[in-house]
Amino acid sequence: MSAPATTAADAGHHEPSKFHFYIAIAMILAVITGVEVVLVYLPIAKWFVVTALVTLSAIKFMFVIFFFMHLRWDKVFCTILFFIGLVLAGGTMWALLHLFGAEASKPLSSAALDFARLAVG
Amino acid sequence: MSSSAATGHLDHHHDHTTSTGIPNKKLLWWAFLASDCMFFGALISTHLVYRLNPPPGNAVPTQIFNIELTSFSTFILLMSSLLMALAVNAIQRGNVKSTRTMLLGTMFFGCIFLGGQVYEFTHFVTVKHMTLSNSIFGSTFYTLTGTHGTHVAIGVLLLGMMYVRTFKPAAGGGGLLRNLAHLAAVCVVMGVSFIWFVPGMIEVIYGASLGDFMSAHAGPYGVGAAALAVVFWLARTGGAVEFGEKNAIDVESIGLYWHFVDIVWIIIFTAVYLLEYL
Repeated sequence: MSAPATTAADAGHHEPSKFHFYIAIAMILAVITGVEVVLVYLPIAKWFVVTALVTLSAIKFMFVIFFFMHLRWDKVFCTILFFIGLVLAGGTMWALLHLFGAEASKPLSSAALDFARLAVG
Repeated sequence: MSSSAATGHLDHHHDHTTSTGIPNKKLLWWAFLASDCMFFGALISTHLVYRLNPPPGNAVPTQIFNIELTSFSTFILLMSSLLMALAVNAIQRGNVKSTRTMLLGTMFFGCIFLGGQVYEFTHFVTVKHMTLSNSIFGSTFYTLTGTHGTHVAIGVLLLGMMYVRTFKPAAGGGGLLRNLAHLAAVCVVMGVSFIWFVPGMIEVIYGASLGDFMSAHAGPYGVGAAALAVVFWLARTGGAVEFGEKNAIDVESIGLYWHFVDIVWIIIFTAVYLLEYL
């Protein structure tokens, strides 16, 4: 989607109006949210729903930061700065979820815990 | 002097007077938002880690959540982002009146979101008996969504301050007391909206009596109505105001923060709410 062109009324002094452009973005975001809610009730494969939800959320995220937050029109350094934080946060989440999702990280049942305490002495 | 300055055209995306070419305020906000990403990343991770291996007796999210209300709140927050973008668009074109309207609309939608959260928390504690301390799920859920709600509340306050600032007279001598009274009235209206009015309206939608709802909190509603009258009375503009297109960077900075709380909610809505229904 491209940025709107400058109209005759805008020429010369002010920033071109992005009114209709923002309305279109908001409508897309609303439709994606509706699709997300409907998706979780559909009798389809879980892996597909999870993939679709993650993808749709990422699309919404990108729409907001690049258009509503103007990264599309700002200097690329702003994008790099924000993505440093985003990548660090995402990397931390990925690492923690893999660490605690591993078989060895699952909490012991009370019986297994008692047995382990006895074995250790 | 840059060519844009020479022609009287304000470039809202670049600042040729800084070494980075980016307005310093904007750079500061992007740096802060990058750090806030890590803050929310930690909170979301903590919630998801405990959801991987829930302890026995943990709360069952699908029996607690009200996905219709949360979906509505998500929609409202998205639309508040639209109004915020339109407020920035308006001030970049020098339209102060439209900026005020959009700022008020953004604040109002923010209060609807917060009111939904107040209703949700109250319902979870009193009806579903899920408190901050009686389950791991409750602890991580309230910490995460409560922190996000606090961010939204701070955003509403910042927007209120920006709204009041748009009335500062060009001639100077705006009157500190008048501005403080204006801000206090805005805060009271917003507070009454999200603490009593919006949760009460949601209860009415779910079947409570409108009469009971009005009489139960008549005091706060009276104070809120009086504060609203003060807001309108102080909003009468008698002359030219100092606020204008040159302040677009200030509105845009607040807008960055507001859009950020929106994108955090986009993640929370999927990770905390929707994935529980699979």
